[in-house]
Amino acid sequence: MGFLAPAFFGGLIAIGIPIAIHLINRERRVVVQFPSLMFLRKVPYRSVRRQKLRHLLLLAMRCLALALLIAAFSRPFFSRHAAAASSLMGAKERVILVDRSYSMGYADHWKRALDAARSAARGVTGNDRATLVFFANDPAAATEPTANQARLEHAIAGAKLSSEGTRYEPALKLAAQILSASNLPRKEVVMISDFQRVGWGRRDDVQLPAGAVMTTVDIGGAPATDLAVTQVSTDRDRAGDRDRVTVTARVTNTGAAARTVDATLDIGGRAVESKSVTVPAKGVAQARFSPSVVPAAATRGTVRITHDSLPANDSFNFTLAPGEAVSVLVVRPSKPRENQSLYLSRALNIGDRPAFHVDVRAEDALRAADLTSRSLVVLDEVAPPNGAIGARLRDAINAGTGLLVVPGDLPAARWTPEWRALMPATLGAVVDRTRDAGGKVASVDYGHPVFEQFSAPRSGDFSTAHLFRYRQLVTSGDSGVIAKLDDGAPALVEKTVGGGKVLMWASSLDEYWTDLPLQPVFLPFMHELAKYAGRYGDARTWFQAGDVLDLSRHGELTGPFVTDAGTDAATAALVLESPSGHRAPLTPAGPEHLATLSEQGFYELRGLGIAAGSGRPIAVNVDPKESDLSHFDPNELVAAVTATPGAGTQQKGEAAAPEELERGQTLWWYLLMVALLLMVAETILSNRLSKAEA
Amino acid sequence: MNAESLLDPTVLARIGNLELLARTVVDGFVNGLHRSPHLGSSTDFAEHRSYMPGDDIRGIDWKLYARTDRYYVKQFEAETNTNFMVLLDVSPSMRYRGATEGPGSVSKLDYGCYLAAALAYFSSTQRDRVGLATFDQDIVEYVPPSSKHLRLVLHALERTAKSAASEPERPAGAPSRAAALEAPLQKLTESLRRRSIVLLISDLYEEPDAVLSALANVRGRGNDMIVFHLLDRNEIEFPFADATNFIDLETGERMPVIPEYLRTQYREVVAQHTATLGQKMREQRIDYALFDTSKPLDKALFTYLLARERFSTAR
Repeated sequence: MGFLAPAFFGGLIAIGIPIAIHLINRERRVVVQFPSLMFLRKVPYRSVRRQKLRHLLLLAMRCLALALLIAAFSRPFFSRHAAAASSLMGAKERVILVDRSYSMGYADHWKRALDAARSAARGVTGNDRATLVFFANDPAAATEPTANQARLEHAIAGAKLSSEGTRYEPALKLAAQILSASNLPRKEVVMISDFQRVGWGRRDDVQLPAGAVMTTVDIGGAPATDLAVTQVSTDRDRAGDRDRVTVTARVTNTGAAARTVDATLDIGGRAVESKSVTVPAKGVAQARFSPSVVPAAATRGTVRITHDSLPANDSFNFTLAPGEAVSVLVVRPSKPRENQSLYLSRALNIGDRPAFHVDVRAEDALRAADLTSRSLVVLDEVAPPNGAIGARLRDAINAGTGLLVVPGDLPAARWTPEWRALMPATLGAVVDRTRDAGGKVASVDYGHPVFEQFSAPRSGDFSTAHLFRYRQLVTSGDSGVIAKLDDGAPALVEKTVGGGKVLMWASSLDEYWTDLPLQPVFLPFMHELAKYAGRYGDARTWFQAGDVLDLSRHGELTGPFVTDAGTDAATAALVLESPSGHRAPLTPAGPEHLATLSEQGFYELRGLGIAAGSGRPIAVNVDPKESDLSHFDPNELVAAVTATPGAGTQQKGEAAAPEELERGQTLWWYLLMVALLLMVAETILSNRLSKAEA
Repeated sequence: MNAESLLDPTVLARIGNLELLARTVVDGFVNGLHRSPHLGSSTDFAEHRSYMPGDDIRGIDWKLYARTDRYYVKQFEAETNTNFMVLLDVSPSMRYRGATEGPGSVSKLDYGCYLAAALAYFSSTQRDRVGLATFDQDIVEYVPPSSKHLRLVLHALERTAKSAASEPERPAGAPSRAAALEAPLQKLTESLRRRSIVLLISDLYEEPDAVLSALANVRGRGNDMIVFHLLDRNEIEFPFADATNFIDLETGERMPVIPEYLRTQYREVVAQHTATLGQKMREQRIDYALFDTSKPLDKALFTYLLARERFSTAR
């Protein structure tokens, strides 16, 4: 039994004063000598002893009420709270949050965390319920709310460290949801973590339900020293006709002393080079390896250092792949204007990241084979092909090939119903703005991938271009306008068809209707437009654990398997195998094109029937921010998420702080109620006595 | 100094000599009343009656025999000299005084001593034979009635008052010394050979029937009884305020008492007790008077004189 505010017991003096006065008086006149008690004995007994007893009862009730009030203000609590508090205060809903971010792999942190989780599970007694939640970037409930300790123990025994970083907010939100849905009277969150500063942002906002108590079990706290490979960059250059790559690794040291480690570069599973690196205290050093030839196929690469207390960040994975070009087919009219496709093809031919392979075909010379393995088809003022070629093109679009339509002044009647259904807009009249110096692109969606590059200041000005003529585009409900002219007319619209994108540009791509090709912004605009429509994503050499792999945006990963299959992208069967061997079916597009890369190491993406090890490796690394083991006070977290700041507390092991115990038990409330009841009873009794005596 | 102040027991308490005190009281009282100091003395002839064999021949009126040649005996109104016996209760309850100063600061025993001394002196001036008996459960001191025993009586009273004042408080567990009228009065009655006026001064902490039973012995021998019932004002009004333990001076018994809750009932019990005593004593032709020790002594003297006057008419 303890008290939060024992100073209130000084109030007992208030009870002692009348009693002391009574005792003093009693001492002063211990007895009254009287000649004889003969007459007093004749007075009925009730008038003497029973009256005294009743008044003693009143005195006792008053003293007890005062004592209870004082005890309530002193805020008592039971130290041995587990079973006693449970039986006294009612059942408890407990959410046990266990941090399984890879930083918990430091030294014996993970073992201690599991021990603490077992202790918290053993604290579930009687009608209590507990939910075990493991969290890293995202939380996952390992059990539903249960009173079965064996289930909790089983879940704890099966827990494994994650490769992800720490984020407290999602875990606390899940805990808040669980507690809010609970009908048990007491609610508690037990968070077991190393409390890294990087896991809790100042803007994170989550509140536990009112009355919920948060108990923290701090596994970290002691100064941690760690060496980590936090970054690898691959710089390419060209030596003759061969691409070379120079790998540079960034090694950080969070310790207070400089350390020297060996950094080794592995490519294709073979150690290529090893370097000794001295990393200053709380500093960074770079290990730059000698240039090497880029392999002909995507190859696994790793930079690793000597293992220390936290092995997870002692290696950094990446992939080396040859450059991949975006294949573009430009279809021009049989009788084109002079230089009609020149600006477009010239613009795309400039640049190597990515490289664009542009083929120009006349409308009447177009063959079905020309559509094979195309990332983008541009209909430069030609009508969409009909017949088998048209059908093949539509299939290719569904499979992921992009289509850029430049209608020019073509009559809308030349579009067959099949193509009208695929187009993002119907064609209207030609707008002639030659009399007012032409229209301008006044509004663009800078959040769209096409214009994302131009969102920063001085990174491209579309207002310098003039569109003297353009086609009135009437968009349908399932298409979007990503650029508008100054009169509000759509300049660029898009529509998603299957796995591909269909875009329509209202003006021309040469200087016939607009001077845009003469503006500096034209070249990057065409590049971004082609990359977007051609579903080209910058080939990432590595991903971060916890990232979501969106295959629909990484044509460089799925391209070989889709084009070879020659099937619909939405149904092309792929397999993503994790480093631990778990296989997940995926498709380049459609409903199953997303996968979470949660494990550190190399995933492998391959088509069905392709042997393991022959697919496209995908490197995944741990979040380098998690390598910062800076600790913060768990009370900050408790104060932020509980309604009453400071109600929760940091604790080592299972024992909770007095404030938290007292808050959870709220004995003062019961004492106060009993005191009030006593006062009411005392009032009734004293009134009756007064009436009887009157 | 006026007569009233002379009768104030508080003033009288300052007089150390009981003889002086008694004289002061009686003379002051008599002067205040302007009565004859010889009131009550009687040698008046009443009547003649025929001689009967056995009569004292000294009572024969020889002159009348000479005139009538018959024997007649002279009879007088009353005896001119009588025994005046004071019975003073000296039990522990008589030592009670309700206050340390002012009215009520005289104990019942002192008050009783004043009364006994004054009335003994007064009787002595009437040429009565005065005697004294003090008692609690038994006779404590006895001075037989005699016309020469006034000084002995006064000395005995003085000793009694001083010994009571110097006697320590009754220790707890000590044997009870509660007054019991039956035994001492029985002994006293046997010692009285002549018809006497017996004055009982006591606080009468006995049941009325027991008191009357004890007094019946005295009355049965032809003695005249006067009972002065002494009570302190506190015993009558019970003015206590604080709840505390009350201890019985006679038995040592303790009792927790909340005065405010039983004051009314206590007064009723006391009133009923005194009323019963008065009624039953009147039925037995015993003069009964209740005295508040905080009041002057004149009432006592008046009561005595009225009784003396009535007794003097008896033959």
